[in-house]
Amino acid sequence: MNNNILVIILASGVFYGTPIFFAALGELFTERSGVLNLGVEGMMLMGGVSAVWASQHIPGSSWFVVLCSILIGAFAGSLVAALHAFLCITLRTNQTVAGLSITIFAGGLGLSSYFANVWDVASETVKHPIRILNPGGLSDAPIVGPIIFHQTILTYLSWVLCVLSLIYLFRTRTGLKLRAVGESPQTADAMGINVVKYRYIHTILGGALAGIGGTYYSLTIVPQWVDGVTKGAGWIAIALVIFGFWRPDLTLLGAYLFGALQSLGLILKSRNIEINGSLLDAMPFIMTVVVLVLVSGGWAHKRLQAPASLGVPYEREER
Amino acid sequence: MQSPLRLERRLTQPKWLNWGVPLLSLLGALILGAVVLIASGKNPISVYMRILERGFASTDAFSRTLISATPYAFTGLAASVAFRMGLINIGGEGQLYLGTIGAAFAGIAFADQPTPIIIAAMIICGMLFGGFWAAIVGVLKAKFSTNEIITSLMLNYIAAILLDYLIFNSKSYWRDPKSFGFPTGKRLVEGAYWYDMSFGPITVPFGFLVAIITAGIVWFFYNRTRFGYEVSVIASSPSAARYAGIRTRWKIITVMSLSGALAGLGGASDVGDFRHVLDAKGVQIAGYGYTGIVVAALARLNPISAIFVAVFLGGLSNAGYALQGPDFPSGLVGTLQGLILFTAVAGEILTRYRIKRQTHVAEGVPA
Amino acid sequence: MADYIDSKLTVTMKGIVKRFPGVVANDGVDFEARAGEVHALLGENGAGKSTLSNVLTGLYRPDEGTISLNDEVVHFDSPREALERGIGMVHQHFRLVNSFTVAENIILGEQTKSIMMDSSAAIERISTLATQYGIAVDPNARIWQLSVGEQQRVEILKALYHGAKILILDEPTAVLTPQEADALFVVLRSMVAEGRTVIFISHKLDEVMAVADRITVLRAGKTVSTIECATTTTRDLARLMVGRDVVFDRVVRTNHAEPDNVVLQISNIDANDDRGRQALTSIFLTVGKSEIVAIAGVAGNGQRELAEVISGMRNATRGTVAVNNEVIPNGRVRKSMSAGVSHVPEDRLHTGLVADHSVEDNLILKSYRRAPISKFSILRRSVIRDQATDIIEKYDVKTPGTTTPVRLLSGGNVQKILLAREFNSSPSVMVVSSPTRGLDVGAIENVRKRLVEAADSGVGILLISEDLEEIFALADRILVMYEGTIVGNIAAHNATRESIGLLMGGIAIHQETN
Repeated sequence: MNNNILVIILASGVFYGTPIFFAALGELFTERSGVLNLGVEGMMLMGGVSAVWASQHIPGSSWFVVLCSILIGAFAGSLVAALHAFLCITLRTNQTVAGLSITIFAGGLGLSSYFANVWDVASETVKHPIRILNPGGLSDAPIVGPIIFHQTILTYLSWVLCVLSLIYLFRTRTGLKLRAVGESPQTADAMGINVVKYRYIHTILGGALAGIGGTYYSLTIVPQWVDGVTKGAGWIAIALVIFGFWRPDLTLLGAYLFGALQSLGLILKSRNIEINGSLLDAMPFIMTVVVLVLVSGGWAHKRLQAPASLGVPYEREER
Repeated sequence: MQSPLRLERRLTQPKWLNWGVPLLSLLGALILGAVVLIASGKNPISVYMRILERGFASTDAFSRTLISATPYAFTGLAASVAFRMGLINIGGEGQLYLGTIGAAFAGIAFADQPTPIIIAAMIICGMLFGGFWAAIVGVLKAKFSTNEIITSLMLNYIAAILLDYLIFNSKSYWRDPKSFGFPTGKRLVEGAYWYDMSFGPITVPFGFLVAIITAGIVWFFYNRTRFGYEVSVIASSPSAARYAGIRTRWKIITVMSLSGALAGLGGASDVGDFRHVLDAKGVQIAGYGYTGIVVAALARLNPISAIFVAVFLGGLSNAGYALQGPDFPSGLVGTLQGLILFTAVAGEILTRYRIKRQTHVAEGVPA
Repeated sequence: MADYIDSKLTVTMKGIVKRFPGVVANDGVDFEARAGEVHALLGENGAGKSTLSNVLTGLYRPDEGTISLNDEVVHFDSPREALERGIGMVHQHFRLVNSFTVAENIILGEQTKSIMMDSSAAIERISTLATQYGIAVDPNARIWQLSVGEQQRVEILKALYHGAKILILDEPTAVLTPQEADALFVVLRSMVAEGRTVIFISHKLDEVMAVADRITVLRAGKTVSTIECATTTTRDLARLMVGRDVVFDRVVRTNHAEPDNVVLQISNIDANDDRGRQALTSIFLTVGKSEIVAIAGVAGNGQRELAEVISGMRNATRGTVAVNNEVIPNGRVRKSMSAGVSHVPEDRLHTGLVADHSVEDNLILKSYRRAPISKFSILRRSVIRDQATDIIEKYDVKTPGTTTPVRLLSGGNVQKILLAREFNSSPSVMVVSSPTRGLDVGAIENVRKRLVEAADSGVGILLISEDLEEIFALADRILVMYEGTIVGNIAAHNATRESIGLLMGGIAIHQETN
């Protein structure tokens, strides 16, 4: 039964969707604070390459190394995000352009590739990849086994984060303030909320999550360093936030949909089903465009819950 | 939050900013680049000297630099024409790929024609293919107001897959049937090679001259015609454009297509001047389209400046190719380009604000 | 809950100076408001009223001067700190999160250790406060569902909830009908009766006389005088405010309106707003040659949509617009321009003009397609410059040059440029929206004079305004818009403030339908 193609598609949807979800959840926090971050791809790659470095160089037990790698991946992502925050929040540059420069600077042809070369991390496979777990020996259980119990620690972490972020955004006072900052910074400021602080924190948090997403690529999916390993996942994550109406739960579902799309080519090929591989490879990108068209035109447009001040720098002494 | 410096809005933009900001940006990028180099155990002075040497300092090197500069000039122009209307077309990369496909098609199909006809056909096909690719983005934006940033970027990935498909995963018109093992594209006949023009000891590729002429035309279009006036109104104030009866939707499609056609022309020049084949991997590694964004930003969207910036960045990447090795890792050029883009973007702040020392440091003004 | 607040606050501001790049907004202002009074801050636009209140609430930090509460000098770094000391403000543009409920907006600023959001206690307190002051608001309603007047009440409730003893209201009646304004005054009086202080910012003389105990007049960033309301008259106040005698009397016309010689005819127009909801319902109206027809109404009742339908910026879903007896194709800006419609939109700087563009480029916004401005699609720069130089001289525009961006000019000069361009197109009909909003007295006089000149020369003018004084000064005929329909059509000499005010509040309709 676990060989059923539907089960495999669902299981790989979760497997390949997890890093996209991390990045998208990060972007969601950032956008909820009113900052648009188009540098996700760059942050993922910086996280990914740093995590590989950590995995190669940190001594200790496998568990310890993996934990450190994830933390270092997150840290690297958050450093790049701090740069974005400085440009957008303090210098009030155009957020679109700032995010683009981050991706060009840190992306597949830039700093992440440079570090990979300087650190010489690309030559061998990762020593301590993040392994797929088998909690309670349940991964052979029918249907739920592969989907739920044949995943890495990061997938379980992502589920916890999804629940926590729902509570945070919609049930806590800090979440209320965060949403106020993204909707109307003037109002938030008048109510004594430190707009700059909220935006910095959530932009940096977003970068950390993107870094973890990148780490998942370099330590789980591949697991080896390849320049530009995320192959546009950062951009798909940005589109997913729109697709998920800025809600963590819907974004999680969207991420799994895209994860399934990404793996479809491999699955069908392994089943000897004749299908144009290039077309399948292009599917996630085509679907992103289709999804964007669907949510930007017509009925969905009116229901979109984009934070009202998304992308608008906040300046108090406006005159 | 208290800070000793504060930003104060500028009421007017002094003229010196036009050249001062890019120069300051460049200087800032070199300093930041030095920090990166030192951090990774390299001597920045010697790296910069070698870039200068291998990029600009000899006639040979400079001739090669112009070859790299040509696609940058086109993608820089492509980004500028779109950005000037507030359209963030970052699909220059994919549009350039389509341009190479179109130009290679024309080069193969018209192989028995005289050179001027082949070149003309390559230019036209390159522009048509690139323009079509960008028009998809334009139509989606105009019709459904779909965010052009993400769609144009997605089309880059799709174009890359298409390139790979044509050369590696199918028996297409472009693929050389005689290539075994590692598949390659059909090599163009020599009659399809673009001219090399000699100006003294320097060889100037034909594409570079086309780029200069194109830049002049773009400048005229944007500064002296009704079309340019309408574009500037839309860019500055969409509601004023609606008020004046300017048809924004058509302009979005037109400008996107124009932008894509220019990027496609860049692809054609790369095939005609340099590769003479549809080189699926080579053109992807080059990253011309993304660099075009750097060109446009540093040139402050001015088409004439874009040519100079393209030469500068062309030298940088030409040196990068020449020097590549353990001492000069790949990714360094991209990093430096990224830093230049950063500082150019941050430099824009100087055009909008003055940085003032806080007058009441003790009290501080809430940032 | 205490019915009478326990401590009274007197706020004193001395020698307040606040500079912005290129402007000194407050230039040594002295101001004092005592507990238990409604203290009006009166001044023209740009006199420095809003800046002063932003200084008082900690949004701006003064460059010089001191603020004291009951003789204790205080510094506020943020509105939050001011509110903690009992100073609350209701801004002209409300500080509310539209997608939040009333209760969420109010608890947003609550200082508390609890992590989770609990709105039930807050809702109870809000309801108590609301009943106490007779402010009816549903705590669970979302802000975007409320009318502007209701949103204002939420702002007042919010300030009271957070313990404001001094409440500053910035131009609170600008968005209200006269009757709603009266209701607001009752709430304000009940607040001062408890010992609170209300600082009431306005440039309208009548309402200041109606609500205030004392009045401080500001002019050009300086305090002119503080006077007891009982000892002054509107005439005196006007002189203090402007620095000379001004009375906006009815402007004298040299040419009489010809309402029967119709230049603009609107028949049975329906249209939707930007969100796709119906904004206009079967509008019929005519404007005659040389006639000034005013449309009165509270903003947001379809006036903007009507202006946009006439100018072709918006599609009508039903009905026709005809100019000089010729029907204009629906939703075609260029067609209505060439038919002789000219439009002065309320958002001058970003719709009527392009803020970042130069004076000369703005003057060709409607003529750039035609000779002599352009030929074979190419702009003729020298012609454009000559035209700009002529217009600047003829309309007395104060600008450093023809290439100066219009955003750097004063409001009055911006409006001069816009009007100059529109007059220059020799229109048959002008649709003019809030033409004097935000201008100083001199500029207001100038604009009104120009409009009357245009009417005298035969242009039919549709004047859309929320300013009743302006309407009474200019109009031959007054129409009132309420919820997308025209609810009254009265000759100006038969109209009274009260009758128009009632119509603006939709009263007449309800009487008919009930």
